[in-house]
Amino acid sequence: MTPGLLFLAAVAIYPTIYSLVISFTRWRLTTGGDPVFVGFENYAGLLADPSFWNSVRVTLVFVVAAVVIEFLLAFGLALVFFRGLPGEKIMRSLILIPMLCAPVVVGLLARFSLEPTFGVVNQLMRSVGLPTTEFLGSPDLALPTLIVIDVWQWTPFLFLIFLAAMQGLPEEIIEASKLDGASWPRIIWHQFLPLLKYPIMVGVLLRLIDTFRVYDIVFMTTRGGPIDVTSTMSWQIYDVGFRSFTISYAAAYSWLLLLLVLVVVNSLIRKMVARS
Amino acid sequence: MQKSNSRCAARRATVGIALASALAMTGCAAGTAQSNSDQVTLNTIFLPATWGTVVKDQLAPLYEEETGVKVNVELIGRDAIHEKVATLFAGQDSSYDIFNLDYNWIPEFGEGGHLVPLDDAITADDKSDFLPLALDVSTWEGQLLGIPQTIHPAVLWYNSALYSDAATQADYLAATGEELAAPTTMDEWFEQVKFFDGRTFNGQELSGWAAQAAKGFGNVHTWLSFAYSYDCEPFNADFTQSTLSTPECIEATERWAEMMEYMPAGANEFTYDNVTTAAQQGTIATAVQWSWGQFATDDPASSQTVGQWEIVEMPEGPRGTSAGHLAAWVISVSKYSQNVDEAVKFAAWLETKKNDVFQASNGGGDPVRASSYSDPELTEQTLEGNDALRFRRLPTVLAAMESAKERPFFPGEEIWETTLSTELSAISLGERSVEEGLARADEAQNRNLSQ
Repeated sequence: MTPGLLFLAAVAIYPTIYSLVISFTRWRLTTGGDPVFVGFENYAGLLADPSFWNSVRVTLVFVVAAVVIEFLLAFGLALVFFRGLPGEKIMRSLILIPMLCAPVVVGLLARFSLEPTFGVVNQLMRSVGLPTTEFLGSPDLALPTLIVIDVWQWTPFLFLIFLAAMQGLPEEIIEASKLDGASWPRIIWHQFLPLLKYPIMVGVLLRLIDTFRVYDIVFMTTRGGPIDVTSTMSWQIYDVGFRSFTISYAAAYSWLLLLLVLVVVNSLIRKMVARS
Repeated sequence: MQKSNSRCAARRATVGIALASALAMTGCAAGTAQSNSDQVTLNTIFLPATWGTVVKDQLAPLYEEETGVKVNVELIGRDAIHEKVATLFAGQDSSYDIFNLDYNWIPEFGEGGHLVPLDDAITADDKSDFLPLALDVSTWEGQLLGIPQTIHPAVLWYNSALYSDAATQADYLAATGEELAAPTTMDEWFEQVKFFDGRTFNGQELSGWAAQAAKGFGNVHTWLSFAYSYDCEPFNADFTQSTLSTPECIEATERWAEMMEYMPAGANEFTYDNVTTAAQQGTIATAVQWSWGQFATDDPASSQTVGQWEIVEMPEGPRGTSAGHLAAWVISVSKYSQNVDEAVKFAAWLETKKNDVFQASNGGGDPVRASSYSDPELTEQTLEGNDALRFRRLPTVLAAMESAKERPFFPGEEIWETTLSTELSAISLGERSVEEGLARADEAQNRNLSQ
């Protein structure tokens, strides 16, 4: 017990408390001075900083859009596979491939594939007469493109959870509903969704937490641009902390991100538990 | 049974601690400058540009042969160097002895007192041979904190094959009433860019020009050459006030934004490599690019335009000023190095007169010593299978170094680039007007300065 607690204190508790402490200081790593206590100055600065609010907006749009689309696609795919398909095993393996790739690799792949001049996507589009499109360089398309990349990579994760949960459902319930004359949509709405509530909750919560932290894809593709349309909170934290080295400001930013994740995730859990 | 379990757990814990200690020790040792009984080892970080690879592949082994001092060279990208160096300095870490630094970090790390002064590393005679601007950007508060390794002012590239093509010349004369020649003013250049854009030459559809434009630092670096040539000063004299909303800065930014429309598709993401590739493929008529990059277009293995690209100084702005933005990399020694003396010796050795020429000759950036610009080893080299001089750019580079200007030289420059870059990105994409974008950049930068 004690070694475990010591380990936990060393790798989790101490850094967490330390980051909280430095969030109340003014400290730039490169200037070489010691941290100076400034109270809530960093938090007040953040709340008055338009780039902070932009990053909150970008993060929320990214999280909501990506998780909703992933949920719908994964649930739909799981329903299709649940009743069995010819070539099911191969197709299932193919669906899982994106999830097995490192996000950095996915980002790199996306950057080269979507490149306007030599990228394979634009070459294909040009070959069928469509115009060259700047997927990652256009202010209108960059964020939707990142959402699509995330959906492509992480839908398989929810699919896997949903499929496993569906395959654990008692066959008798489905048969009984069918005998009662219930249509598939009614069976899904009245039987599947209530019975799969907890696997859905776990899957969606894991994806929520993960998408809130999105960084690798942004780093490899848009680096927060064009302008600041893909500047998520995690990206901004990196930018403030490791490009400007204003480590105290970045710590305050991180605590506000943590707060946001906790609020969203907790309210979701409360709602789902209350309904049950 | 319980006793046996607890014994087993204790043994596992002991082994675990031993393994962890071993790992920690080997991990620490791997990055530490080691000196065993005979050999000193220097650990260095360089940019993976040609001047970094020349050091890693040729000069470091040569130095070990000559002196017995082993030099490990790690090559990592620009942003990664900044991140790594800053965190190592913050931890007063002695793992690395020498860093290849972009000069705009000299004030930042100099202010923190992390770099070893190198004034005594080179003699007064030697100092007088270095290009004055190269030394200026290596110096902070009167101390030389880096030995210049390479300089490259932004210059205007033009495809000489296109400019000397009879049909193109005739068309240009007919369209503008002017003879086609390398542009000397911004207005002349803009006319040419508009003329070339969309034309076909050697089977390639041309764009008027290309330059770094990606958000981060690329668009700022290109914009600076416009700004300086239009007499725009981004700050007041002591860097306490951002002054981007002056008429000169607005005029410069308007021209830059107008010209962005004549760059190739996807240009908003263009980096140095994209510009080089476009030049190698012959898909652009002109470019604003580092002088040193010319060597890549002369490489027959990757270029279809060998010997065709020529350079001139940045065209003059409306008040007759021509000033390209300066890029330079320096070699600095960490204050936390355990081998400061050896590190200083190696840094100075890398830029002896002989090695300055050696580096340039091997593609390692443009020389930092004035004497290298007239060294026959460089000036008389021709391209393989081509009569063109390999270093035909050197006279223009030397002239450009007279008027080139450094980035705002103060400790917050890196943050300033990030701030301005976002607004320039918005302006070039038409999301904000020039005035609005520059006003927002002023506001954000003044907020940074007050923090």
